[in-house]
Amino acid sequence: MGLFSDIYNTVAKFFRPQEEQGDASKSVATNRLKLVLMQDRTNLTPKILEQMRGELIDLLSRYVELDKELLELNFEQEGEQVALMLSIPVIRAKDEEEIEAALKAEAEKLEEKIEAIEEVMDSSVESSEENNNENSLDENSSNVISTPEEMNSSKNNEQEISFEECHSEQ
Amino acid sequence: MTGRVIVITSGKGGVGKTTTSANIGTALAKAGYKVVLIDTDLGLRNLDLLLGLENRIVYTIVDVIEERCKLKQALVKDKKNPNLSLLAAAQTRDKTAVNAEQLKEICDTLKEENDFVLVDCPAGIEQGFQNAVAGASEAIVVTTPEMSAIRDADRIIGLLEAKEEIKSYKLLLNRVRPSLIKSNEMMSVDDVVEILSCPLVGIIPEDTGIITSTNKGEPIVNDENALAGKAYRNVAQRILGEEVPFLDLDEPKGFVAKIKNVFAKLKAKV
Repeated sequence: MGLFSDIYNTVAKFFRPQEEQGDASKSVATNRLKLVLMQDRTNLTPKILEQMRGELIDLLSRYVELDKELLELNFEQEGEQVALMLSIPVIRAKDEEEIEAALKAEAEKLEEKIEAIEEVMDSSVESSEENNNENSLDENSSNVISTPEEMNSSKNNEQEISFEECHSEQ
Repeated sequence: MTGRVIVITSGKGGVGKTTTSANIGTALAKAGYKVVLIDTDLGLRNLDLLLGLENRIVYTIVDVIEERCKLKQALVKDKKNPNLSLLAAAQTRDKTAVNAEQLKEICDTLKEENDFVLVDCPAGIEQGFQNAVAGASEAIVVTTPEMSAIRDADRIIGLLEAKEEIKSYKLLLNRVRPSLIKSNEMMSVDDVVEILSCPLVGIIPEDTGIITSTNKGEPIVNDENALAGKAYRNVAQRILGEEVPFLDLDEPKGFVAKIKNVFAKLKAKV
């Protein structure tokens, strides 16, 4: 059987147009290279890309219902510039009430988060055991954060906390 | 006289930096220009071998920097062409024996008395690269149509862009195999240029003649019949500011194909 299929392949290859034969390998190389160069040039790690994707989904979900599985976030080159292309399959737009509800929920979450952070800040002076709990709290809350300003403010808080921790340890 | 200092670099090793340096240098010297080649690959020197000058080296760049000899004493004249000379790398030292400032000083001195100073850069993006680039105002980035070489070239282009002293950089695509491009197994020249978005200075076909020319210590530009030699001579002309069309590497070989080609050209004219 092996011999026959070998002969068949050789003959088939002979009759196939030349362009078709290696097509995969060249275009595979070009595509892989383009993608890896985009990452090299922008200096964004896959982890950051994933985070960016998550935050964009959170933000957009307030206004539209989207197909999260099919959302695509890619880099494309246009001349010398690298562009970030976002493709979002929208299932349906939300109506005003839903948007308002979503925003309200978001605001409540934010308030909870701020309270949590404040609590953490108050108690951070006490013991190192509690510090561990605080860290896990921060991780939980970071999933909800969605706008850059909020990111910054929470980051600042984290920095302050760790600064105080240092002091308390000394 | 103030000559041009051009660094020949690539990021990845083995793509043909040294071969390119030797050939462009020889071609420019043959065209009547005074050229100095500097090998900055300390510890791994090879430019002397490609030029067939390995037995004539007395002093190296490190001897110049550590003031054991004068710069002029360390320049080795080419066997055939008195316009061409080589400043060899030290084989027993490493990259730390030289710093960027010292190399810049050497380039500045050499460009006073030469039309071209070509700096053959070591592979990598560390100290050796920083040294080689320090004195240059132009760069030629050598790459091949392979993913790893292109990725490294992209990195190098990024680093060159960040350097104020580098006024222009161009791409030299080496070891191109037209038959593989035709069967879509190798990235084409257009693909590479599009991906790197960098102007081309040359396309060099893969040529087995390179191996024999290295064996003999004689750059392939001296071989009038070799295709790679012709391609390198064209590169030299482009560096000199002439507009030379890129070689048509697609030309079919064999008697029947040639006749077909002639008819096709005639048809195109009619």
